[in-house]
Amino acid sequence: MLPSGWEVTTAILLAIVSFPVSLVLTRVFMQTNARRGIIGIDVHKLSKPRIPEMCGAAIPVTLILLSSAYVLIGGGNSITMLAFSLVVGSAAVVGAVDDRLKMRGIYKPLLTLLCGLPIVALGLLYPNQVYNPTLQVPLFGSFHLPIIYPLSGPVAISVTSNTTNMLDPLNGTMAGGVSIISAALLIGILITDPAPSAVFLYACLLFSALGFFYFNRYPSRAFAGNVGQLSVGAALGALAILSRTEIASIVAMFPNIQNSFFFLSKIKRFTEHRALTAKPTRLLDDGRLASSSDPKAPLTLVRTLLVGRPAKESEIVSAIFALYLISAALALITMILIRR
Amino acid sequence: MNQRAVALQLLVFATQWGLMIVGFGILALVVAPLRIQSDPSLGRYFDAAVKAMIALVLSISWLFIWDRQVRLYFYRKREDITEPV
Repeated sequence: MLPSGWEVTTAILLAIVSFPVSLVLTRVFMQTNARRGIIGIDVHKLSKPRIPEMCGAAIPVTLILLSSAYVLIGGGNSITMLAFSLVVGSAAVVGAVDDRLKMRGIYKPLLTLLCGLPIVALGLLYPNQVYNPTLQVPLFGSFHLPIIYPLSGPVAISVTSNTTNMLDPLNGTMAGGVSIISAALLIGILITDPAPSAVFLYACLLFSALGFFYFNRYPSRAFAGNVGQLSVGAALGALAILSRTEIASIVAMFPNIQNSFFFLSKIKRFTEHRALTAKPTRLLDDGRLASSSDPKAPLTLVRTLLVGRPAKESEIVSAIFALYLISAALALITMILIRR
Repeated sequence: MNQRAVALQLLVFATQWGLMIVGFGILALVVAPLRIQSDPSLGRYFDAAVKAMIALVLSISWLFIWDRQVRLYFYRKREDITEPV
């Protein structure tokens, strides 16, 4: 049964505002970045269109603005919102620096580890207001992790932000995937334990991602850039900790986990896609994508979906969304199986 | 949409999900209640470190099974070759 409390209703109504805010901000970033020459090339299209980059900055800006507004109207725990905003903001700064300076692959995981420190620091200063070190497990109750839990916080932020960063190879995959994940976790929270702050933050992430998705969907008119990808991934990691949806978040991110794991297992180091000599896919003359025949190419999720059968970009994006829907459904079942 | 690939991925995800729940069950029911070192000061950290190592080994085993599944379903002969099964 859906909750009917006014706090949850207010949280959802305010979160819906993030859709138009994100939409407008994305449009502003598109125009500004195009004017300043911050442009990327859509390599998966024959015409190689030039698309404004770093427009995903609209999402962290929206999240921080709306979180602040939520605290101002007295709706949420200010410490929780501060922790969330600091994590998202710092990940956005790391992403923006990477977008402009093109850092080496190893720096992103290291710097995003630091982005998780606000949660640990605020959690130690304000016990039980930021995180709860008791991990809830589906079917088997829970167990207390007073030492390991805070230590794994920064690792979780680094993993979620970088794995989100790695699964945005095609138009709209990151924004669409994150929308599906956050929608599933939002429904799960509404069904199981509708804490207003958690409801607000998940709804905010969902609607701000959808606002950006409007311009980022196939065929893209805006690219997220590292600024958008890292901050959205960090938001998912922070929300998993703040709203106690750790295990469900892992399940919802199965497509990301598979993509990153196979990339790392093949390449055996942290590196940027742009630094790879062997690309996982190749563009055919008819505009379809095919799996690379280069034995050195990484085994990515997209390459798995292209095994033995070339496909249009839009078809692969649909397949990736289908995978996100599967993992989101499993995440929802996981949340229901967790006895609170 | 490559429905065969999506169906195989569904199989991989469902298997990994089941294994993950079993793994967390082992952690909750067997590993977490263990008292490896009863010393109240440093023993607490030793206890946590040993349990973290056990969790790490379980995670690596989980990823290993994931790896074997994907290679079995999607990549025949050698990992470098991308042919349908």
